[in-house]
Amino acid sequence: MTRTPRTLVVVGHGMTGHRLVEHLRAHDRHGAWRAVVLAEEPRPAYNRVALSSYLEGRSAADLTLADRAFLTDPLVELRTAAPVTGIDRRARTVTTADGTVTRYDALVLATGSRPFVPPVPGRDLPGCFVYRTFDDLDALREAAREGLPGVVVGGGLLGLEAANALRLLGVRPHVVELAPRLMPVQLDDGGARVLTRLVTGLGLRVHCGTAVREIHPAADGRVGGVTLTDGTALDARLVVFSAGVRPRDELAGPAGLATGGRGGFLVDDLCRTEDPHIWAVGECAAVRGRTYGLVAPGYRMAELVADRLLDRPTAPFADPDTAAKLKLLGVDVASFGDAHAETEGALEYVLRDDTAGTYAKLVLDPEGRVLRGGVLAGDATAYRTLRALTGRELTAPPDLLLSAPGPGGPPPPPRAADAA
Amino acid sequence: MTATHHVLVVGHGPAAHRLVERLRAHGHRGPVTVLGAEPRPAYNRVLLTSVLDGTLTAGDLELPAPPDGVRVRSGVTATAVDRARRLVRTDSGETFRYDRLVLATGARPRIPRLTGVRTADGRLTEGVTTLRTADDAERLADGPVVVLGGGVLGTETTLALLRAGRDVTLVHPGPHPMHDRLDDTAGALLASRLRSAGARLRTGRAAVEYRPGKLVLDDGEVLRADALALCTGVEPETALARRAGLAVRTGIVVDRHLRTTDPRVHALGDCAESGGEVPGHVGTAWEQAESLARILAGHDTHHRAGRPALRLRAPGLDLACLGPPDPPGATRRITLSDPARGRHAALALDGDRVAGAVLIGLPRAAAALAQLYARDLPVPSDRFALLLGAAAGATPARVELPDAAVLCHCNHVTKADLLRAWRAGARDLTGIAAATRATTGCGGCADDVRRVLASATGGNSAP
Ligand SMILES: Cc1cc2nc3c(=O)[nH]c(=O)nc-3n(C[C@H](O)[C@H](O)[C@H](O)COP(=O)(O)OP(=O)(O)OC[C@H]3O[C@@H](n4cnc5c(N)ncnc54)[C@H](O)[C@@H]3O)c2cc1C
Ligand SMILES: Cc1cc2nc3c(=O)[nH]c(=O)nc-3n(C[C@H](O)[C@H](O)[C@H](O)COP(=O)(O)OP(=O)(O)OC[C@H]3O[C@@H](n4cnc5c(N)ncnc54)[C@H](O)[C@@H]3O)c2cc1C
Repeated sequence: MTRTPRTLVVVGHGMTGHRLVEHLRAHDRHGAWRAVVLAEEPRPAYNRVALSSYLEGRSAADLTLADRAFLTDPLVELRTAAPVTGIDRRARTVTTADGTVTRYDALVLATGSRPFVPPVPGRDLPGCFVYRTFDDLDALREAAREGLPGVVVGGGLLGLEAANALRLLGVRPHVVELAPRLMPVQLDDGGARVLTRLVTGLGLRVHCGTAVREIHPAADGRVGGVTLTDGTALDARLVVFSAGVRPRDELAGPAGLATGGRGGFLVDDLCRTEDPHIWAVGECAAVRGRTYGLVAPGYRMAELVADRLLDRPTAPFADPDTAAKLKLLGVDVASFGDAHAETEGALEYVLRDDTAGTYAKLVLDPEGRVLRGGVLAGDATAYRTLRALTGRELTAPPDLLLSAPGPGGPPPPPRAADAA
Repeated sequence: MTATHHVLVVGHGPAAHRLVERLRAHGHRGPVTVLGAEPRPAYNRVLLTSVLDGTLTAGDLELPAPPDGVRVRSGVTATAVDRARRLVRTDSGETFRYDRLVLATGARPRIPRLTGVRTADGRLTEGVTTLRTADDAERLADGPVVVLGGGVLGTETTLALLRAGRDVTLVHPGPHPMHDRLDDTAGALLASRLRSAGARLRTGRAAVEYRPGKLVLDDGEVLRADALALCTGVEPETALARRAGLAVRTGIVVDRHLRTTDPRVHALGDCAESGGEVPGHVGTAWEQAESLARILAGHDTHHRAGRPALRLRAPGLDLACLGPPDPPGATRRITLSDPARGRHAALALDGDRVAGAVLIGLPRAAAALAQLYARDLPVPSDRFALLLGAAAGATPARVELPDAAVLCHCNHVTKADLLRAWRAGARDLTGIAAATRATTGCGGCADDVRRVLASATGGNSAP
C-alpha cells in the first residue's frame, strides 16, 4: 500500500474502545486506517467486567486487554493519561488535556460512564468512593481496615459486587437500596427474597425501600455515619456509591453534538452521530436514545463501527440480550430475557423450594412453548442453558430444564415414561 | 353391635340423607327414624345458588326418597335428649326411643353483631336473610342486594344473583374475596372475575349498620340494600348435644368411630368435630355417612378422614382449593400464572405429594390434582404440563441446545461457532479463546465451552 492511511481517533480506551481497534486491525488487510487511542486512564484497557477479581488477588496485568501485538502494532498509537478535553468538528481535531491537537478522519467516542453519585450532603467527604476503575479500587483498598463500618449505596448488580468487595476487605457493609428489593431491574420479589437471604448469610445488612439522606463527618473530618430517609442511622467510615451510572457525554455540548433524553451521545442504529465523521459506541452511546450498561451490546457496537469503517457488511444494532448473573461466590442469582413477564400474554411458571432455598421463574409465550425469560435464585445452574434457549421453543419440559446441568452437558436420564 | 337396632337420626340434611341410604346398603335391617326441622324432605343444599339464579326451583333440589322402612318426620325439631332413658323429645310433643342416636344437625349461619340486623325480639329484620335453607333462598327480597361476606358462599351467591340480573354489591373485610383460601394473585383474579360479571366490590370494609334499604359501611359509605344477604360464616349446630351433656368444642366431638362421649350417640356432617376439624364440606359429610353406615350396620371399621376438594364452579369461573391454604408440610411451591387468560395455579408439594393447591380456570389440572390429592399419589415429573392441562410428553425430553444458541454472550459466540473452531483444531479454552474470543469477557461461559469441547471430542474422534 502506498496510500497513507486515514486517521481514526478513539476517545477512551475502555472495553469497547479496545474492541473496536482490535476488530478494525484484525480485518484491515490493506492498512487503510491508523488508530490513535486517547485514554484518560493511566493504563491500557482492562477487563472492567472482571474488575472485582482484582481485590481477590488477580493482578492488573492479569486483567489487561492489550496484548503485545496490540501495543507494538505500528498502526496503533495509544496515549494513556491523555483525556480529550474538546472536539473541533470544523477542523476535525480533538484536543487533549496537555494541549496536544490531533486530527481525525473518523472519530469514535468510547468514553463509557461515570458512577452516579446522588446529590446528598456529605458525598464529597473523604471516605466516599465509587467503584469503576483500578484507581477506585486502589483507593478503596487503601482506606479499608478490618472491622471498619461501611455502607454501599445501591443494591443492584454492581452495588452487591462492591459490597462483596468491602466484605473481602474485612468490612461488613450495609447495603441501601431505594427500590423495595435488591437487584430491582433483574429480579422479581421471589428471586430478590432468596438473594436477600443469601447475602445476609454472607454478612451484608440489607436496607431496601430507603435511601441515604445525609453523610456525616466524624471528628477527624472523614465519613463518620449515614442517615437514611427512614430515619435509620448507620455507623460508616466508608461509603461506596453504586447507584447506577451516567454516560460520559460532557464532550457533546461544547462540540454541538446531540445527546439522548437520559444522556449519552445520540446515535442511530449504526452508531452514527449527526456528524458523518463522528460515532459513539459502548456505554456513552445513546442508540436511538437508549443507553446500555453491559459489555455485550458495547462490543456489538464496536464491531459494527469497525466494519463500517472498513466497508464490511454489517447489520444495524438490534435490541441486545440484557441477561445478567450476579458474580458473587455462593450467591447464585440470575435473570434473562423478559424476566418481568412484560410481553403480551406471557405465562409465568414459578418453582420455589423452601428447603433448598431456591426460586426459579420461567416466562413463556401464551402457549407455554417458547421461553421468553426468567429469574433464577439460590441455584442458577440452569442459567446458561435457559439463556441460550431464550426466544426459542423449549427443548424439554420446564421442570426438567430447570434441573439440567448446562448446555451440551450430559443428557439427563430418560424419564420413567420413556423407559417403560 | 347388631343390625337390628333402632337408629334415630336428628337432622335431615345431606349427611343424614346419605347415612340412611347407606345403612340399608350395608345391611342394617332395624328400624330407622329421621327427624328433620325443615318443613320439606331432604334436598341438595349445595345447589341452593341455582335457586337464587332462577335455574332451579327449591322443589328441584329434593333428594331421592329414603329406602323402604325409613320413617321421616319433616318439620319436627328435636328439643332434648334423655340419654339415661335413650329418648329424644321434640317440639311436636312426641318422644322417640333409640338404640343408636345420630346427630346430623348441620350448621347454622353466623349472624354478625351488626346494628339493625335483628328486630327487638331477636329475629332478622325485614330485608335481611341468611342463605342456608331453601326457605332462605325463596325469601330474598327484590331490589339491589348487598352480599355481606366474601367467602365461598358469598362469592357463589354474588355470582348467582348477578346471573339472575340483580344489582349486587359484595362487602368483604379481607383484601380480596376468599382471602383465607387464596393468595394475592388468585384473589386479584377472582376479584376481577366478579367485577367483570358486574359485581361492585367493597373489600377491606366492614358493615356497621343496617337500616331498611341501606347498609352503612365503616368508612361512611351508604349502600342501597333492599336485600341484605348474610354470608358471614356458619357454626355447627350443637345446642342439643350441649344440653344433653355431650362433649362439644367447636363441633360435637367424635372419635374415629364417629362416636360422641356417649357410645350410643354418634354425630356426623357439619355439626361434628373430628380430629379437631370441622370442615363444613358436603364431601366430608358424605364420607362420614359412608363410614358411619358401616359402623352402625355392625362392620368392624372406623372412619378415616378423606381429603375433599373445594370446588367453586360458575359460568366463567372454575376455582378449586385442595388442602389448607398454607399447608404445613409443604417444601416446594409451584405457581403458574396466566393473567391474560385469567388462569392461575398454586401447587404446594410435600416431596412429590400434593399438600395443597389453588387453581383458577384450569379445570383439567384441578380434576387431575384432586385425584392425586385424594389418594395421596405422587405428582408426575412434568408439572408444567399437568398444570396447563396439556398431555405430558408434549415437549421432547432432551436438554440439547440448538447450534444457533449463543453461549458466550459477551462476544456473541454460538455453539456452532465453537464446533467450527473445534473442527479447525481448537482443543482447549486457550485455543477456543484465540479462535472465537469465547470466555474472554465475563468468563461465565468457560464451563459450557469445556462441555461442548468434551462432547465434541467424545462423540467424534476425528476432526
Ligand atoms: C465492577 C464492575 C463489574 C461489571 N460487571 C459486568 C458484567 O458482569 N457484565 C457486563 O456486561 N458488564 C459489566 N460491567 C459493565 C462493563 O464493564 C461496561 O459495560 C463496559 O466496561 C463498557 O465499556 P465502555 O468501553 O463503554 O466503557 P469503559 O469500559 O468505562 O471505558 C471508557 C473509558 O473511557 C475513558 N474516558 C472517558 N472520558 C474520556 C475522555 N474525555 N478522554 C479519554 N478517555 C476518556 C474512561 O476513563 C474509560 O477508561 C461491570 C462494570 C463494573 C465497574
Ligand atoms: C348455598 C350453599 C352452597 C354450598 N356449596 C357447597 C359446595 O359447593 N361444596 C361443599 O362441600 N359444601 C357446600 N356447602 C356446604 C354443604 O351444604 C354442607 O357441608 C352440607 O349441607 C352439610 O350437611 P349436613 O347434613 O351435615 O348439615 P345440613 O345440611 O346443615 O343439614 C342439617 C339439617 O339438620 C336440621 N336440624 C338441625 N337441628 C335439628 C334438630 N334439633 N332437630 C331436627 N333437625 C335439625 C337442619 O334444619 C338441617 O336441615 C354449601 C352450603 C350452602 C348453604
